[in-house]
Amino acid sequence: MALPSSYVLRETGGNLARNVVMTVAAVVTMAVSLTALGSVLIMRQAVNKATVQYQGGVELVIFLNANVSSQEITGIRQQLVSMTPAQIKKCSYVDKAQAYVEFRQMFSGQPDMLKVMTPANMPPSFRCVPAKAQSLSQLDAEFSKQPGVYSVEYPGQEIKQWLAHFATLRNVTLVVAAGVMIGAIALVVNTIQLAIFARRREVAVMKLVGATNWFIRVPFMFEGLVEGLVGAVIAFVITFTARNTLASFTGTNPLIPSQPLIVSSHEAFLTGILIVVVGAAVGAVGSGFAVRRHLSV
Amino acid sequence: MIRFEHVHKAYKGSVTALKDVTVDIKRGEFVFVVGPSGSGKTTFLSLVTKEERADSGEIWVAGKEVGSLPPWKVPYLRRNIGCIFQDFRLLPERSVYDNVAFALEVTGRPRHFVRSQVPQILELVGLGSKMGRKPGELSGGEQQRVAVARAFVNRPLILLADEPTGNLDPATTAGIMRLLERINQYGTTVVMATHHQEIVDAMRKRVIELDHGIVVRDQARGVYGMVDA
Repeated sequence: MALPSSYVLRETGGNLARNVVMTVAAVVTMAVSLTALGSVLIMRQAVNKATVQYQGGVELVIFLNANVSSQEITGIRQQLVSMTPAQIKKCSYVDKAQAYVEFRQMFSGQPDMLKVMTPANMPPSFRCVPAKAQSLSQLDAEFSKQPGVYSVEYPGQEIKQWLAHFATLRNVTLVVAAGVMIGAIALVVNTIQLAIFARRREVAVMKLVGATNWFIRVPFMFEGLVEGLVGAVIAFVITFTARNTLASFTGTNPLIPSQPLIVSSHEAFLTGILIVVVGAAVGAVGSGFAVRRHLSV
Repeated sequence: MIRFEHVHKAYKGSVTALKDVTVDIKRGEFVFVVGPSGSGKTTFLSLVTKEERADSGEIWVAGKEVGSLPPWKVPYLRRNIGCIFQDFRLLPERSVYDNVAFALEVTGRPRHFVRSQVPQILELVGLGSKMGRKPGELSGGEQQRVAVARAFVNRPLILLADEPTGNLDPATTAGIMRLLERINQYGTTVVMATHHQEIVDAMRKRVIELDHGIVVRDQARGVYGMVDA
């Protein structure tokens, strides 16, 4: 049976307004539950992102002696080129002038250091990204012995520990997200059931005057949909605004300990969309199910 | 209009509500169902609307066998039946107008039809001036009038009344009875379960008496007790 849309809108609006306390309870429950879900998802995203970044983005730095000859530089460059792309993904050369610029930035707060160093005594370097993070130690061994090389630096053992740590965190957040999701759905459905239980007399009267089940159910489902959407939008705003704070709970950038993990606004937005979809679906379907048990008369 | 053929109904806990009941109520009749509490009056009425299912026997309502009616058709059956109760069963959050309008909206009637019908029917029950009130602001008698208006607004073939005067004083009761008689005169079959001896005795309509689920008397132009023939 086709339901007149004016009836559905009027009923939905009327019910939301008449049962203010229950409406607020449902919206707040939805908002809190979905914020919890969103927060866990954001943390997981931050860890995922860091993992991907450090699996493929580990840098190997080959520092050369400050007095390195141009033949030595050419030799090393040729060797690096020959290893691309099988062992090395990409390489860039940082000359003395660039190294000095970096140095000035790094020690900008320490004028004593800046006074001592000049571009002439800065070591030039090759910054390379290996094809596999696992081959770092092998590359180290190979280039340390080269003439003109001062030292080879890479995060080494630390990276392995971080990757293991992140793998654990990813699994933990997955389990927590699943748990929070189930909890959120149960909480929301329970709240809707309470709201409908409070109105079981109304449902009984509707049945009595010959309302079909869908005629009764659809306004309830729209009500759940509206409550779900409003709660989800609140959760969206909270998780989106707090995304970097949430991400920082999972840890810091392993290479730069002062820099916490972050999640881009684009990624947080996608999580937000998921939350809104979950909220709307749980609201509508939950209401549909909750009202079902009162329709059997 | 309503026909029970050897209807048997027992509730869980083996309480027998109706035992081999066979009754035939014709179109346009006004029937009292009487008997002490627990005699099966309410069960009798709720079998007509299929709120309850019979264990055995056949129940025909408006030409349809209720027992074999699929669940999705039950709402359409109920649109032919108006119901009123001792406790009114109005929606307390909605105005008098909305309570009555709801019964029409449920059947998918267009809005302009609802707008013209509801004031008319409220006028008929004497509540034309109180359409905007909430049920809680009305007296018991007035609330029952709203319930009657809701039950009758669809012009049902059948009106079932379960102790409709149970909560009302004598003067108000008389008013409600006049209303039901008037509805009956429009052609609606009225079946009323009651303990109210004065009403039954005064109106001299058909009386079906139940005792422990058995029809012990079915008498045209009867009275409450068994004295009159």
